[in-house]
Amino acid sequence: MDRTRGGTLEGHVDATVGIPPAVTDETAAFWQAAAEGRLLVERCSLCSAESFPPRGMCRSCRGRSMTAAEIIGRGVVYSYTVNHQRWLPGLDVPYAIVLVEFPDHPNVRVAGRLRGCPPEEAAIGMAVEVGFEPGPGGYAIPSFVAVPVVAPPDRGAAG
Amino acid sequence: MSTERPERRAVISGIGQSAIGRRIDRSGFQLTLDAVLAAITDAGLTVDDVDGLAMFPGGGKADLPGYANGNLYEVQDALRITTTWRQGQVEGMSLPFYGAVLAVATGQARHIVTWRTVKEGSAARAAGGRPAYGSTHPAAEGPLAWLLPVGMLSPVCQVAPYHTRYLHEYGVTRDQLAWLPVTQRAHAARNPDAVYRTPLTVDDYLASRMISWPICLYDCDVPVDGATAIVVSAADTARDLRAPVRIEAMAGVVDGRPSWEQWEDMGRVGYATAEALWARTDLRPADVDLAQLYDGFTIEAVWWLEAMGFCGTGEAGAFVEGGERIALDGELPVNTWGGQLSGGRLHAGFGHTAEAVRQLRGEAGDRQVSEAEVAAVTNVGGFEAGAALLTQWSR
Repeated sequence: MDRTRGGTLEGHVDATVGIPPAVTDETAAFWQAAAEGRLLVERCSLCSAESFPPRGMCRSCRGRSMTAAEIIGRGVVYSYTVNHQRWLPGLDVPYAIVLVEFPDHPNVRVAGRLRGCPPEEAAIGMAVEVGFEPGPGGYAIPSFVAVPVVAPPDRGAAG
Repeated sequence: MSTERPERRAVISGIGQSAIGRRIDRSGFQLTLDAVLAAITDAGLTVDDVDGLAMFPGGGKADLPGYANGNLYEVQDALRITTTWRQGQVEGMSLPFYGAVLAVATGQARHIVTWRTVKEGSAARAAGGRPAYGSTHPAAEGPLAWLLPVGMLSPVCQVAPYHTRYLHEYGVTRDQLAWLPVTQRAHAARNPDAVYRTPLTVDDYLASRMISWPICLYDCDVPVDGATAIVVSAADTARDLRAPVRIEAMAGVVDGRPSWEQWEDMGRVGYATAEALWARTDLRPADVDLAQLYDGFTIEAVWWLEAMGFCGTGEAGAFVEGGERIALDGELPVNTWGGQLSGGRLHAGFGHTAEAVRQLRGEAGDRQVSEAEVAAVTNVGGFEAGAALLTQWSR
């Protein structure tokens, strides 16, 4: 799956109208990886704790030796909102925004859009996959993909 | 009375406001002068008594059109005074008077005027609607770099996930919290300077346009044009002042992450600020006669009710439901001028402070709370917050 694509997933609206990030020395690696569909956070080479957003300083031990770590596993929605207001001309609404945490990465929370389901189906606790989509100014922005809720297997059904 | 704490060596001596409205055809600079001169007169002082000035925001910070107005140098030039203390960013520790109190308490000045002028009403009208936060800049800097690009284009979208989470964790409903804007509107009906005074019902609230779930139109403060000025004076000048108000205690704490999407939990800093505040006074929450709680959004006032200890955590829905407790004759009248939701977004605690002073002086007209001796004022919320207790001079 191309994780930078927006595409035709259900409930998806265009996300390119908006305000792009100002990229700094600390955040350049994040945005570069985002363009490749990878979610990067910082990992401390002294205590292994992860930190986000990148500050070049560990949030656990204040160490200054940080390396990049990629978040691959599923995330869980901590909370969400569904924006209905057209804050900028041409902004496509409504869309859901989720704050996502990762069970295997206790110090990381990332905000992004939600796709793969209608916005009104956003829910606290729902599982999402890491993803990106085209955002403002040519940047790829975090855009998490809803994991379909799989019905319990019905052994009697065909096919 | 103890004189150990600096806030006991200062008083709020004057408040003044310009015309306030959705659109006032007067420059931000003239609105500023209107409020400053009114506040000086209200204090019982003359312009020549003033030796300190401060404004918010300093440094020309303007993430929204109409957010920042004027220039402190030009105001001082217009007033033709000499200053011995000056500050561009008065929201020090998130209280409009915090820096000025410390300055008069340490003898750097005797009478300081601090003000906040907004032209956000006109700016929103000119833009054809409330513009995106940060849209005055080409790119999103600092903490906003993680919010604006993904579509969290307004503080509404930024605070909304915590409103969602609050409802989820505590089982509070939007129907319950509706009573806060509804009751504040009833207060605004008695305030001739409020921008929205027509009655509002819970049904009106529930039927209103959704901005960013679960925040609807009536959960958002109203962009306006207007200026508020506050005079802070050394307490030992009291004999020169018309109607000073005491500062029993004040506190501000910044201890959370400065990124809206990274808050550890809701209301976190409100709690730290409230704890610091109550440690500076013998008064308790039950001693407070009225509360002016920051209400950029309904949910911020909700969190302040709980953080200040007026009700328990998760209990604000039940506390405000029906509106009786927070009404003008209730056990804790809240935002008696209508708050920013109906009175207008005068911002940064200026409108809330002005109303607390009016109430404590007994000068609040049709909305006067009886036996108003102790008022709580809170500002902001989230990762930074300020709170104060103001008391009647004669108390």
